[in-house]
Amino acid sequence: MAINPMEQFEVKPVSWAPHPLFHIGHYPIYFTNQALWMLVVFVSLSLFLILAVNKNRVVPTRTQSLAELSYEFVGGMIDMTSGPAGFRFFPLIFTIFMFILFCNGFGLLPIAFTVTSQIAITFFLTAVVILTAIVTGFVRHGAGFLKLFVIKAPVIIMVPMVLLEFISFCARPLSLSMRLFANMLAGHTMLKVMAGFVIGLGTAGGVYTVLAAAPEALIVALTALEFLVAFLQAYVFAILSCIYLSEALHLHDNH
Amino acid sequence: MSEHAPEPEDLRALGERIDALKREEAPPPRKTAPTSAEVAIRFGAELLSAVIVGAAIGWGLDWLFGTRPALTIVFFIVGAATGIRNVIVASKDITRRTAEAVAAEQAEKER
Repeated sequence: MAINPMEQFEVKPVSWAPHPLFHIGHYPIYFTNQALWMLVVFVSLSLFLILAVNKNRVVPTRTQSLAELSYEFVGGMIDMTSGPAGFRFFPLIFTIFMFILFCNGFGLLPIAFTVTSQIAITFFLTAVVILTAIVTGFVRHGAGFLKLFVIKAPVIIMVPMVLLEFISFCARPLSLSMRLFANMLAGHTMLKVMAGFVIGLGTAGGVYTVLAAAPEALIVALTALEFLVAFLQAYVFAILSCIYLSEALHLHDNH
Repeated sequence: MSEHAPEPEDLRALGERIDALKREEAPPPRKTAPTSAEVAIRFGAELLSAVIVGAAIGWGLDWLFGTRPALTIVFFIVGAATGIRNVIVASKDITRRTAEAVAAEQAEKER
């Protein structure tokens, strides 16, 4: 029995809407599994946050305290990296953090599609952050923002270092989006490979059927690890966004 | 939470007491060492992205000045250098985080 572990990452129209919704130019626009799961994330996230705080009790209910906890978590993250000035970016960071967290979380459901395992999604999220940082930097510091690339050193070292810093800055969107995407891709592929072992061994009969318990146990352990990764990668993405935005706000003088 | 509407005095006192208790009871945030997969992906992403971006900048400048392939080669090498520097920075960060996690675990054990 051949199982393709990469099949889960295929973006395809959902089975109950096989025809394009509309066309942009010549390109047909489908309602894909990707769109479906982003919609699920969007609706559940909105419902969770709206329902959690619509009563606005002084003594929070469990859901309300969950919402408050995530608010304070992101708030602490911003405060730690860029101080009070960074709070103007709170909506952006909070949205990105919660979106990635929910996408990663929903991706762990057995039939779900992991939205964040598509580099198109992660790269778009990074592009939003980096473009915000660049615009903020130039608005706040004008051409002085370019001082970000300058390191105090003798000229002979400084010139190549400026080039290095510049390439490093340009590489950020790619490396940040690659980290999130590759982490989700690797974890989910590993789970499916192990699941393939279980099915292969389980259907082989005799002593092999008993051996299928070993990869099964590994799946349980890996799933637990994936929950950690799901949270950690959302955190890493959000905190790096904070750091990049803080750099645009304060240039070098803060760290 | 100072941005809230004015609260009755006793409510604020209660809030302060809760905050004080939380500070006392809550364990310091747990530090976890990065997993091997995370480290591998991080190094890969840092190195690869710098090389790709470096080569792409060289390619673009070549197209601009009509000097293909000279600048592509130069910027590929500069990109590789940037990638290696970024990996060194990343490895320092990972070493620091691992050391912090080990120290936290040690402190946990001694307690």
